[in-house]
Amino acid sequence: MKWLGLALRNLKRHRGRVIGTVVGVAVSLMAFMILRTVIFAWTVAAEDAAQDRIATRHKVTFIMPLPKRYIDKIRATNGVSAATWANWFGGKHPKREQEFFATLAVDTDSFFDVYNDMVVPAEQLADWKQDRRGAIIGTSLAKKFGWKVGDKINLRGTIFPGTWSFNVRGVYTAVRRGIDPAQLIFHWQYLNESKVLPGDAKDLIGWVIARISDPKRSAAISKSIDDQFDGESDQTATMSERDLYVSFMGMFSAVLGAIDVISLVIIAIMGLILGNTIAMGVRERTNEYGVLRAIGFENRHLAGMILTEGLLIGVLGAVVGLALAYPLVNHGMGLWIEENMGSMFPYFRIPGTTMGLCLLIGLVLGTLAAAIPAYRTSKLSVVDALRRI
Amino acid sequence: MSEQNATPSGASVGETFVRLRNVSKIYQRGAEKLRVLDNIDLEIKAGAFEALMGPSGSGKTTLLNLIAGLDRPTDGTVEVGDTKLSALREGRLAKWRARHVGFVFQSFNLLPVLTAEQNVALPLLLTSLSSAERKKRALTALKVVGLSDRTNHFPRQLSGGQEQRVSIARAIVNDPDIIVADEPTGDLDRQSADEILDLLQKLNQEFNKTVLMVTHDPVAAERASLTRRLDKGSLQ
Repeated sequence: MKWLGLALRNLKRHRGRVIGTVVGVAVSLMAFMILRTVIFAWTVAAEDAAQDRIATRHKVTFIMPLPKRYIDKIRATNGVSAATWANWFGGKHPKREQEFFATLAVDTDSFFDVYNDMVVPAEQLADWKQDRRGAIIGTSLAKKFGWKVGDKINLRGTIFPGTWSFNVRGVYTAVRRGIDPAQLIFHWQYLNESKVLPGDAKDLIGWVIARISDPKRSAAISKSIDDQFDGESDQTATMSERDLYVSFMGMFSAVLGAIDVISLVIIAIMGLILGNTIAMGVRERTNEYGVLRAIGFENRHLAGMILTEGLLIGVLGAVVGLALAYPLVNHGMGLWIEENMGSMFPYFRIPGTTMGLCLLIGLVLGTLAAAIPAYRTSKLSVVDALRRI
Repeated sequence: MSEQNATPSGASVGETFVRLRNVSKIYQRGAEKLRVLDNIDLEIKAGAFEALMGPSGSGKTTLLNLIAGLDRPTDGTVEVGDTKLSALREGRLAKWRARHVGFVFQSFNLLPVLTAEQNVALPLLLTSLSSAERKKRALTALKVVGLSDRTNHFPRQLSGGQEQRVSIARAIVNDPDIIVADEPTGDLDRQSADEILDLLQKLNQEFNKTVLMVTHDPVAAERASLTRRLDKGSLQ
């Protein structure tokens, strides 16, 4: 029993208060971790984007289409090893319209070559290519709606009106964290040849995704692509897959910013709770600190004991918070979110850095919260401290 | 504990051990200045057992605090052994107290979360002694005060008299030169008070500890070899 032992024994003095504070710290840090995980999950697609993929969209806005002929020029661009395209379809489950998932009309021959991180069994892929109404769905979507290979499903078109029928021909597995596991992929030809589409809307593609041979040349290749269409009425903006996600997330930057601020406010509140508990304990023990000073303890010893107490409560709270948040998020809530909100949060798990940050915050904030009481105690004269009851 | 015929400081019994020269203590209370001690000159011999009496507010505890190095005089000098206390900075003064002074308080002031043995061993935490050695010394001190059978008891499990004996054990565990006791029997019944006074006398007579005791109790003061009276900040 030396300094740590003394600090531990002091913590046992008001167990109810200490337990309450530890729980308060744990809940605060749990909330902090969940909010940070929301931010992480929102940005993971960008953070985890493929380095060797670039995207070309209309220069004006993402929602304006490009002429299909652009794909040939892009494929012929030096440094591009493969290219494919996709159109946003905007289909809804007719009975569960509130539930959002991505529906994309794609080029059957090239899409899964470029997106080799969406793995489809070869036999299913071959079946899909043969079926004009064939669809490939993500594992989360299959689980969410109970769809399986062989099912005939209908979607309601929101951009392209009417009921659209599909045959589920395969299920893809996302092998990269940023890939949405809840998409429905179908033939672009099916959309393009539909009577729903007016004549001037045919042979248009939403955006182009190209695989490049040298990721280091991403910027040069992107410029080379855009330069080709400079004289066209539909100019392009080509960017890395990461930048594409970032530009998409830019729409939500205010929300992310708000979450960021809230998470910091939670930490500040936690600091106040912690500081108050430590200050109360220290104030009650002023006389004892006077006795310790009298028998030879120095200010630094007392400060060390008080700081150790704060540190212990902070770290204990962080460990408890982590122990609660990890199973809750990584084995419960996170799985549910990935399944049901995979388009926004394809990977909802507490990242290791956030766990480490949580422990660090517990440690630092616990110590900081004890700093003022420690400082005040060190400034008390022995005689004044001994007079306190 | 030190052997007989030599005080723990090395000073011979009867030599001057504590010297106060022109000591005054003034407290500032807002705009008011309160002179608690006024030009005190005092010498205490090594191995003495002295009582300090006087009415409340006469400056007894302040004088005791100055001698024990808990407070500093406004004017004058305090020397204990070879050490001029006013010359020591705060850290050195704390080290000096840890090495040379044993404290006994009226309300015992034991840490409630520590056992008797751990309370007694507290001052030893400041030394480089091993855990085993600290324990051994704490048990020895508890044996001296007759509490060998209460080593694992917490203060709440002890009577007032036993708590004060633990407090005395804590005061002597470092083998200090001087024991300062501020109303050591103030919170005790007569029988317990007598036991504590017996113990202080034993420490003085058998272990040559210099004992300086503040008390209101004339019966307690009778145990001292010399009683000094303080009134309105002056020695009578």
